[in-house]
Amino acid sequence: MKRVTWGFTVLIALAALVWIAAPAVSQPKVVKIGDLGSKVGVFEGYGKYQTWGMQMAVEELNAKGGVLGHKIEIVSEDDETKPAPAVRKAEKLILQDDVKLLVGAVSSGATLAVMDVTKKHKTIHWNSVSCAEFMRTTKFHKYYFSNQPDSRMQATGLAKYIVDKMGKKVYIFYTDYAMGQSDGRQFKTALEKLGGEVVGVAGAPLDTKDFSPWFGAINQSSPDVLFLAFAGTDSLRLMTQLHSFGMTKKYKLAGIDCFLLQQDLPSIAEPMEGFVQLNHFSPYNPDANMQAYNARFKKKFGTDANIAAGSYDAVLFWAAAVEKAKSFDSDKVAEAHEGMCVDNTHIGRQCIRKEDHQVIMDMHLYQVKGGKNLPIARIAGNDSIGEAMVGKDPVEGFTWEIKKK
Amino acid sequence: MDYVVAVLLPQLLHGLVFGAALGLLALGLTVIFGLLGVMNFAHGELYMLGAYAGIAVIGMTHSFWAALVVAPLAVGAIGALTEVTTLRPLYRREPLYGLILTFGLALVFREGARQIWGGDMRRIMPPFTGSTPLLGMTYPNYRLFLLVASSVLLLAIWLFFTRTRAGVLVRAAVQDAEMLDGLGVNVPRVFTLTFAGSAALAALAGLLLAPIFTVYPQMGVEMILLAFIVVILGGMGSMGGSVVAAVVIGLAQSLLTLWMNPQRVAIAIFTIMIVILIVRPRGFFGREGVLE
Amino acid sequence: MSRAVYARVFSRWAVIVWLLLMLLPALPFMSKFYLLLAFDALLFGTIAMSLDLLMGYTGLVSFGHAAFFGLGAYASAALLERGIVSLWACLLLAVLVVGLYALVVSFFATARRGIYFALLTLIFAEVVYTFFRYTQTFGGSDGIQGVAAPRLVGDVAIDSPLRNYYLVLVYLGLAYLACRVLVTSHFGRVLVAIRENEDRARFLGYNVQRYKMAVCMISALLTGLGGALYPGRSAFATPDLMLWTVSGEFIIMVMIGGLGTLAGPVVGGAFFVLLQEKVSSYVDWYFIVIGLVLIFIVLFMPRGLLGIRDLLGGRRWRTTA
Repeated sequence: MKRVTWGFTVLIALAALVWIAAPAVSQPKVVKIGDLGSKVGVFEGYGKYQTWGMQMAVEELNAKGGVLGHKIEIVSEDDETKPAPAVRKAEKLILQDDVKLLVGAVSSGATLAVMDVTKKHKTIHWNSVSCAEFMRTTKFHKYYFSNQPDSRMQATGLAKYIVDKMGKKVYIFYTDYAMGQSDGRQFKTALEKLGGEVVGVAGAPLDTKDFSPWFGAINQSSPDVLFLAFAGTDSLRLMTQLHSFGMTKKYKLAGIDCFLLQQDLPSIAEPMEGFVQLNHFSPYNPDANMQAYNARFKKKFGTDANIAAGSYDAVLFWAAAVEKAKSFDSDKVAEAHEGMCVDNTHIGRQCIRKEDHQVIMDMHLYQVKGGKNLPIARIAGNDSIGEAMVGKDPVEGFTWEIKKK
Repeated sequence: MDYVVAVLLPQLLHGLVFGAALGLLALGLTVIFGLLGVMNFAHGELYMLGAYAGIAVIGMTHSFWAALVVAPLAVGAIGALTEVTTLRPLYRREPLYGLILTFGLALVFREGARQIWGGDMRRIMPPFTGSTPLLGMTYPNYRLFLLVASSVLLLAIWLFFTRTRAGVLVRAAVQDAEMLDGLGVNVPRVFTLTFAGSAALAALAGLLLAPIFTVYPQMGVEMILLAFIVVILGGMGSMGGSVVAAVVIGLAQSLLTLWMNPQRVAIAIFTIMIVILIVRPRGFFGREGVLE
Repeated sequence: MSRAVYARVFSRWAVIVWLLLMLLPALPFMSKFYLLLAFDALLFGTIAMSLDLLMGYTGLVSFGHAAFFGLGAYASAALLERGIVSLWACLLLAVLVVGLYALVVSFFATARRGIYFALLTLIFAEVVYTFFRYTQTFGGSDGIQGVAAPRLVGDVAIDSPLRNYYLVLVYLGLAYLACRVLVTSHFGRVLVAIRENEDRARFLGYNVQRYKMAVCMISALLTGLGGALYPGRSAFATPDLMLWTVSGEFIIMVMIGGLGTLAGPVVGGAFFVLLQEKVSSYVDWYFIVIGLVLIFIVLFMPRGLLGIRDLLGGRRWRTTA
């Protein structure tokens, strides 16, 4: 019996070998780039627009002959919004598909994990969606670049507006993982520095179904403003539930840039009315560059663009850097990136800061009116980006404790 | 007093609302367990299908109430079909095969739903909005409706099992299916119909909770664990026990959040549950010897 | 070891397959990526084999093996994160942590049979999952990330896919040896007796619960050791590793491979990993495929992939030696 068993083991193993080895053929003159994002789960929407943004850039570049004479090809993978599959898929993209650029991931937890992979395998890595503050500080590496305003960039401008225009007593409610913690922390620090008062903080796990158990505590601390650091489907549920308890009318609302994508707003316009956030793009911003980009995007995909489509710029920057370096070599391309400017990004001319590889972006305060993100103020990129803190701990000395007045 | 009205009472109400809805979900699970000895891992997916079927019906008829009738029937039919094609051949085998099989079914249903309806979150608008001033706070009307509807349904099910011949037959099958067979009852049909009923109940729970929890393919995964805990805690196969346990879990969950970080509550619930199972291995109302 | 014992534990085929696996990296198309894939295949294969001790030989279905795996991974990652990079220290801590936890779980779970055992292991595992997901000391839901590679001795770090592959191959070999010794011994026969008829085993004078606890511990420890190897390959440990659906996947691997065959679950685990990797690259509905495979196996070939041999006139199902 054993002989038969092991005979089958060998047969199956051989079959498996042939199977996995089969499609290892590559076409000449094609350069692959990786798109790693959430295709299912809480952040599915963001992953979809990340892919679309990249597709648009690739199509435009290929129409002009590609990059260094190579046609660009996108390989998309689903990271299931979790660090473990994200790492596995990043390894697959780098080691198997030999991508020269990796864009992603969507969830901050996954992006932080993927940064270890891109560092280890020396791969150019662009992040266009995640916003934890560790990426351009403690986790920073030579091959990492970002055109997503991280939580530090969002906090000060928004906190100032809230203290000046909305009210001084703020309750911070955040989603308890890398992104939400980071946004909550940076916002609390900024707000307290500006003289605002944090009357309460609470974290809810990612993918919470019922937020109502937290509402008692919020009502008890009677804030003027609710600062919400949630994203994706969590935000939708939270807003629906806050609204049904009458709390969207009772408090003023503010939150992070990726709280809800523009596409989701019309269906939840009433609860979201008056919600304030700080980010770089809205299809309803009259800025000429944004309008031009949005028109092209809408023509291709039949819907407005949003902040997750910033991945468009990531591909443009990378392609420009490759042309400048005249090579796909990661070290050369990374060096070519530093300090580089590109004119035709989705929000106009932008430059990469040499020190921490962050794109210096003009930011806008947006307020939701009738389901549309309308700009109410502009903050110049140099004012919001904050000092470069590579290698320094961006949350040193931070505590969630509330200072009682 | 202020504390009681502003904080304690609303929290109690949250617990009751959630507990009652959870009871609906757990009830179907426990009946199936008592009857077939199968802990149905796909129960959460039937709950999910109920919500999606609801969306489909609402899309056609624009009526939540029509969906409330049609969706459970549709999912019940899916349940019956599933039972006949996959579970029936397993009756003579160890119940563990049923457990593993339903895990596979769950994967297929979940992924199938994602293929058909997409992975993004859908919402169902509650049939009525607005809120009622209650106990010094505003409470959403829909949640109050949920509490009433769940309670009425639970009562109706109780009447079904105690007052109707069909209900008595099912309970007899739970006790001793072979004896029932000997009495000339078509036992496989009882099994199939009960499974369909359990599926319909799960679908109903899914649709009723959908306006609050929203709808997406993974929605059953977390609920099913909670439902399992309820079934075990209530005593496997004990219907009354499940309902009691569901309310207890609902209340414990919402009251504990008052004194500890809601995140710690999950750990606390599991710990309490383990302690209870060590002290009372068969849960609140478990009978000795049920599939041990 | 006497020659007779030796012959009973080893089969020539097992040694040949293992030696062939040694040569696998020499194949021209074995890129770093395929080495990592092979690592996963063998690691999860070995874990499935450990689970087979419970499922196939003792008739206990554990729905909580992901917790043993995850705890091992966390033990290892926590040390690596704190600069203790010795592989042996990682393995030792994993054994201690997993052993302690398994002792508690198996004590309570083995007191019950059938579905109760499955559900108790599930709930215990869920406690561990919840604890790690919500405890910021261990990184909360993001887990421990970016840990250094463990070192074998001195400066020899297991930092390349190739070294990791050989490490997991050693793990597979030793674990297989341990399982074979176990199931061919008197202990193994008592386990089968318990599976076939627990009461009779008890009447024969065996302390059934002690046997069940012992095999539960052994299975958990083997799984935990596998978990301890995982951060060396992935550089992280996250709560997702111990989600209950992962336990379900382990069970699927055993079922695919065939209950009570040891070698089968190794193949099943490898098959599962490769299927997931391959199918998920082409279509995004691979869970339907996996679910259907599982349903098909439960319904039509409960002996798993290796059960194919029955169709070709092989032996009776679930012979043990």
